[in-house]
Amino acid sequence: MRNRALTFLILVACQVLICNYLHLSMYLSLSILPVLIICLPTKITTPVAMIIAFAAGFVVDYTAEGVLGLNSLALVPVALLRRSVCDAIFGEELVARKEDFSVAKFGWPKVAFAVSIAQALFLLIYIWADGGQARPFGFNLLRGFVSFAVGIIISVPIADKLTKYHGQSA
Amino acid sequence: MAGKRNIYRTGINVAIFIFLEVAALGLLRRSSEGQSFFINQMSHSFAAKVWGWSQNVGDYFALKGINNDLATDNFLLQTAIAKMDADADSIRAANAAKDGIVVAGRYLFSHASVIKYSQNKHHNYLIIGKGAKDGVTAHTGVISSKGVIGIIDTVSTNYAYARSFMSSNFNLSTRIGHEGAVGPMAWDGKSMNGAILREISLQHKFKQGDTVYTSGHSSIFPPDIPLGTIGESRIINGSTYEIDVHLFQDYSAIRYVTLVSNMDRQEIVSLEKKGDEQ
Repeated sequence: MRNRALTFLILVACQVLICNYLHLSMYLSLSILPVLIICLPTKITTPVAMIIAFAAGFVVDYTAEGVLGLNSLALVPVALLRRSVCDAIFGEELVARKEDFSVAKFGWPKVAFAVSIAQALFLLIYIWADGGQARPFGFNLLRGFVSFAVGIIISVPIADKLTKYHGQSA
Repeated sequence: MAGKRNIYRTGINVAIFIFLEVAALGLLRRSSEGQSFFINQMSHSFAAKVWGWSQNVGDYFALKGINNDLATDNFLLQTAIAKMDADADSIRAANAAKDGIVVAGRYLFSHASVIKYSQNKHHNYLIIGKGAKDGVTAHTGVISSKGVIGIIDTVSTNYAYARSFMSSNFNLSTRIGHEGAVGPMAWDGKSMNGAILREISLQHKFKQGDTVYTSGHSSIFPPDIPLGTIGESRIINGSTYEIDVHLFQDYSAIRYVTLVSNMDRQEIVSLEKKGDEQ
């Protein structure tokens, strides 16, 4: 449990570093926060997950982005829908038995799909709240697509790493 | 029990979600002017939609009262229109009376003077001192207090040409008494006040001195205009009577006449045409 929490905190710190030092393109908003939230252990209830999401977003906003509330706004809906996404993709029994999903148990495709849903939801709200209405639709679309693709490439290995802990606890 | 628990959990989740999202929006609004603008815009748009929706709901429930008001307005308008119609009718009647026009049923009567007439031809005519500018049209009847004078054939601006009853081709639908036999009456071609009533079936009873009236079967003349009295009669071909009629009207002394036009004539004629076509 301590390992999980520590890993979570380290990854949040990584996100802060990414936001501060990894500015590759204006079309790229790289975020690993959605995968952190979707991979939270099943026994963490939705309200707690939402509070964790809000707090993680706030930390990243406060220490890196400078626009307070942006990550929190986009991340809380991911936490709200976390269990529903897991139910839909991994089956209701998983949550009912309070087991966690892992790449080893369900394979890459299902985990990647769950992560992509979280990533897409996060980016949708993030780009909209980050002044999306003031920018051309084409710019937002390209930004969303690039960020989504790169985010998935990075998030799936992180999901694998995080769910290994799930496997150990199971 | 499990259902209630689920509802409770969902309620808690939604409440916390809304709280956190509102908090995030609040932070976002404070931290950036741009975000503040968009959030304000969004909140105003949302408020406008909610206001519009509530306004629609209010309007919907106010419809009954509005309908009542409209019904009352409608009633008042109908009353005003009826009053105006009555006023217009009385003004129209007053104007018509001023022009010497009287409306009786579906007939329009107006007086006119006879400018010129012939009386010693086979086809006699009259020139009437009223024309198109007075509203006189073809197929207007010309009558007097003593009978039928003729029918207007054509009109100019100020005058009208009427075919006289004293024409060999003028047949008038008549009736013996008010409820007797009906038959065509024509000028006898000889005298100034003689006519012949034909095609009266043998079963019909009549006697000398009975009055002959217009039958009303014409689309030009109104019914029951007294024309003359019955004189001698003869049986023709053993099937019908031919009756001499002494006309009340003396065609050698005509000065003033009355023009009569049937306001429904066009409708009757077009109906007859349709019937003929079928």
